[in-house]
Amino acid sequence: MAADPVALPAALRPQPLVIGEVTPGVLDDQVLSHTETRPPLKWFVAVTFTSMIATLGLALLGYTVYQGIGIWGNNRPVFWAFDIINFVFWVGIGHAGTLISAILFLFRQRWRNAIARFAEAMTIFAVMCASIFPAIHVGRPWLDFWLFPLPNQRGMWPNFRSPLIWDVFAVNTYFAVSAMFWYLGLLPDLASLRERARHPLRRAAFTILSLGWRGTAAHWRHFEKAYLLLAGLATGLVLSVHSVVSFDFATSIVPGWHMTIFPPYFVAGAIFAGFAMVIMVLIVVRESMNLKHLITERHLDVMNKVLLAMACLMGYSYMMEGFTAWYSMNPYLHHVFTQYFFGSYGWAGWVTVTCNVFLPQILWWPRARRSYPLMILVSLGVTVGMWMERFVIIVISLHQDYLPSSWHLYRPTLVDFGILLGTFGIFFTLVLLFARLLPVIATSEMKMDLPGAQPTHAGATHV
Amino acid sequence: MSERAFAVVGLFDSPDALLRAVAPIRAASLGRVEAYTPYPVHGLATSLGLKRSPVGGMVLVMALLGAATALGFQWWVAAVDYPITTGGKAFFSWEAFVPVMFEVMVAFATFTAGLAMLLLLNRLPFFGHPMLGSSVMAAVTRDRLALAIEKDGDVELDATNARAALEAAGAQSIEVVALPAPSQPASARTLGWMLGGIAAACLTSGFLTYWVVKLFPVLPPMVHMLQQPRINPQSQNGFFADGRTQRLPVAGTVARGYLPYAVANADEADRLVNPLPRSAEVLARGRRAYSTFCSVCHGPLATGVGTLSSAYGAKPANLQSQTFRDYSDGHIYDVIMRGKNAMPSYAEDLSEDERWAVIHYLRALQRAQNAKQEDLR
Amino acid sequence: MTRWTQMATVVGALGVAAALAFVEPQRFWANWLVWFLFVLTIGLGALFLVALEHLVAAQWSVPVRRCAERVSSLILPVVPIALIALLSLPTLFHKWTGAEAAHHPVVASKAVWLNVPFFAARLLLCLAAWLAGYRVLVSGSRRQDATSDPRFNVRARRFAPAFMALFAISITIVAFDWISSLDPEWYSDIFGVYVFAGTFLAGLSATALAVASLKQRGRLPEVNEHHLYNLGGLLFAFTVFWSYIGFAQYLLIWYADLPEEVVWYKLRIQGDWGAVALLLALIHFLVPFFALITGDAKSGLGRLRRVAALMLFAHLLDLYWLVFPSLGHGVLASWPELAFALMFVGGGLLWLGRAFGRGPDMPIGDPFLAQALEFRR
Repeated sequence: MAADPVALPAALRPQPLVIGEVTPGVLDDQVLSHTETRPPLKWFVAVTFTSMIATLGLALLGYTVYQGIGIWGNNRPVFWAFDIINFVFWVGIGHAGTLISAILFLFRQRWRNAIARFAEAMTIFAVMCASIFPAIHVGRPWLDFWLFPLPNQRGMWPNFRSPLIWDVFAVNTYFAVSAMFWYLGLLPDLASLRERARHPLRRAAFTILSLGWRGTAAHWRHFEKAYLLLAGLATGLVLSVHSVVSFDFATSIVPGWHMTIFPPYFVAGAIFAGFAMVIMVLIVVRESMNLKHLITERHLDVMNKVLLAMACLMGYSYMMEGFTAWYSMNPYLHHVFTQYFFGSYGWAGWVTVTCNVFLPQILWWPRARRSYPLMILVSLGVTVGMWMERFVIIVISLHQDYLPSSWHLYRPTLVDFGILLGTFGIFFTLVLLFARLLPVIATSEMKMDLPGAQPTHAGATHV
Repeated sequence: MSERAFAVVGLFDSPDALLRAVAPIRAASLGRVEAYTPYPVHGLATSLGLKRSPVGGMVLVMALLGAATALGFQWWVAAVDYPITTGGKAFFSWEAFVPVMFEVMVAFATFTAGLAMLLLLNRLPFFGHPMLGSSVMAAVTRDRLALAIEKDGDVELDATNARAALEAAGAQSIEVVALPAPSQPASARTLGWMLGGIAAACLTSGFLTYWVVKLFPVLPPMVHMLQQPRINPQSQNGFFADGRTQRLPVAGTVARGYLPYAVANADEADRLVNPLPRSAEVLARGRRAYSTFCSVCHGPLATGVGTLSSAYGAKPANLQSQTFRDYSDGHIYDVIMRGKNAMPSYAEDLSEDERWAVIHYLRALQRAQNAKQEDLR
Repeated sequence: MTRWTQMATVVGALGVAAALAFVEPQRFWANWLVWFLFVLTIGLGALFLVALEHLVAAQWSVPVRRCAERVSSLILPVVPIALIALLSLPTLFHKWTGAEAAHHPVVASKAVWLNVPFFAARLLLCLAAWLAGYRVLVSGSRRQDATSDPRFNVRARRFAPAFMALFAISITIVAFDWISSLDPEWYSDIFGVYVFAGTFLAGLSATALAVASLKQRGRLPEVNEHHLYNLGGLLFAFTVFWSYIGFAQYLLIWYADLPEEVVWYKLRIQGDWGAVALLLALIHFLVPFFALITGDAKSGLGRLRRVAALMLFAHLLDLYWLVFPSLGHGVLASWPELAFALMFVGGGLLWLGRAFGRGPDMPIGDPFLAQALEFRR
């Protein structure tokens, strides 16, 4: 006998995950119809705008390959700047999608069903944007194949003791696993699209893409097991990929980089930045695609609570970094930490802490978790703050490390900014295309949990 | 009609109804029992008698294999095939190998899970299943739950009885899926065109790859490394007046360690005195230098018969003759410095010490070949 | 059973008294510290688990929450144990409390943090925070048994985030003050996270062990394999988390090879202590990982009980490996260590025996209990 919702105080009453009468057929119509109808004008306007920015970015990337890295602001001693900041930023954004679709699946958090699909798609697009940077920031990008352990006549192998090679493996594995996980989850929905398709070309395309999926009990049995395993494997990746990215810094002896807390700190930061991005996309999806009854206020509420929890974790990490920097009695570390807040780029340190720790605290207030302007303000702030955090870590630590004679300021060029902007264009173009070509909500996963979907004797509660 | 039925499908409106119908339909043994649902229904697979999925075991095995492969490969690369010292770390640094090992393990496991599930266990992609073309499929991917009695192998499906059994079990509606027309095997002509097409594609792509790979390094920007704003050796240029690229050093340039030879002619050289002592080390050094530079022409015993004597028209001097035994040390030094007749200058080949050591050695050779009774005492 | 436990505790206490008289003070206090930390981390870890369940409004865990609450009552005897542990400062922590610390530049400059009054004050604040958490979360839950007042849940959910903040800071203080300052020059900012991981695992293992033991005695009949699966899953996940944190710290310190950081590991991975480290990797990671990897294993009662017990022992070994090498000797395991083990394990079991004997085994006043018992995964 379930707890009588009327008798519970308001604070304990569970909010609905689905508002109104939604049957599987209605769900299909509401979600899948977006892929079958002509997009509205605002979509065309949006995608044109983002494509223009993406094109600008791609043009600047091509120009970089042609002219060389000299057109960026990287110098001595700031050898890593916007390139690596953007790389870490985008890989981080990807982690939220994996957390939502894999980790929340393992924890049986049903609210994840409505948002897992597009969150996972965002992961794939974010990793695509991220992988541009390791490819492009080497002096001769056409020799990128040297990064891989391919037998060759030079008699050389990559140096497996270097974190940069670990990165190659980690990011590639992450992309492959995310793509596999996403595609497998899509199969039943692709089958739905196949059956609904009337144009023979569309039907043929979805027949091929759905691999002939029929939904037999045997199909589902193997599918569920594989999906569970993939969720577990993807969970391992959430921890390991951004930890490997953090190893790029933490294995070195640059002051401010060699902090043992970097692996979990980076993972927390990645989830943090990713959730902020997902929240912003979530708002647009639910409003523009009439899905407010499926992506409900409860979803927004929970996402913002996770964002708040992550902000507190970031606060803890900053406190630990600061305390340990003092406690270490290492003069170089003392100097760099002073630079983080009171040096030439000290403004960046303050922006970071304000946007990542102080601003999200307004989410303690329940109204803030339901108010679009406040949510968007916090999420935008977090996006900026997390980018700035990587700027602080990379640029400030590098520009004044051990040898004062090497100290030099860093100034980004317009090409640097243009490429960063361009990756946003690429990312949002892909998201917009995805929204109209594939189902943004995993209808088969949602159908599983609708009332009346499962036999009663197998137990009705999934908490 | 019943001879051409592939399956008789009963559509149910609730999962409870579907599960209740499974046992009687299986008991009726009218064919293969299959269920089609738009989402996984708990308890359905068990009631149909399906075994547990082996994906888990396969993934575990492949994961361990992936980890072992990655560790083994890294060990071989770093400790056997290409051992380089970096950061003072041991060649087999297992700590540094863990991240890649973990990622490769996850990659192996993932591909096993996905591909095994699809290819091996579910046998997908498969576009030829009769149900795919049927009208049932649309309902089944949307919102209906279906239980089907399918043709089992070669045994004909008794559609009438199947329909009755499903109705008795509580199906809301019944559909019959017809057996598709048997597909024609590919004709020899089609096969020929296909194989020919594949062969043509392989050849074309092979040649294209070859030419592209040859062409690629000379395209900009790859070629920028070769096209540098500099003058290449052995080429003409418009920068210098004489058009030469290799330039001589400025007049009066002195090589390091160069000391000018202040003697004007051989007679003046007579006043030079051998500064080195006649010690065993000096004689050994002189012997080495003599064997390297002098003995090829003058011979190992300074007799003028060396290995190159026959190759030259001029005869190298027989240094054992009285003329040369009468030469002062300084005179010999001068010959080494300036050369004499066909002999070139050996000033660049021998350092100053080496020249005097050779002279000591030569004197020892001369004395040895013209030994007197007193030398034996 | 209780008689044996009582006798063992008394024997242990006598042994501890003898150790106080005959064993060198550093070793005595190192033992006291290890057991103080062991009891603390189990109790605090269980309290963290309770707070976490309220924070995420988990409903599946309601039936097993009472076990976690009872285990967390270990925080009460921790208060006197901790206050006695303060007596170890002059001997065990001599590197910064002793007179020689003033001559050591690095340690002396940390004196504003590492001084006895501030250290003691931090401990008192932590104890106060933990007791406050215990009062709100555990005592409140007990009261709810009688009142069935759902406002407790509201209060607990509101308090949980604050408790998390207090917990994060206090566990970090415990890690830095009581373990890391044994080597005051060493620093590692992930250390608080490492000790947290061990703490949570300890609390989780103790809870799982309690649940499994009760079930094997016929109590907690409504707790089913689905609840056990979740407990086993959490154990599995946090075993991986602990291993990840431990390895990350080791990898980074090994890689950079900085002298001030490496010295801590050198003590712990060479010689006898290296063997202990390998054993730790085996029983704290490899064995639990493979023992809990399958779905069946996670929900098996016997398996869960054995793995949980092993993990508690592994946690003890972890604390031993963290603390004892700082003494500068090899592995010390003799009658003093046994005496401490008898006293603390016996005393702990007696305390928990009383806690588990009072009141209902499940929070019967919780409004979500009925729903939680129907939980299916």
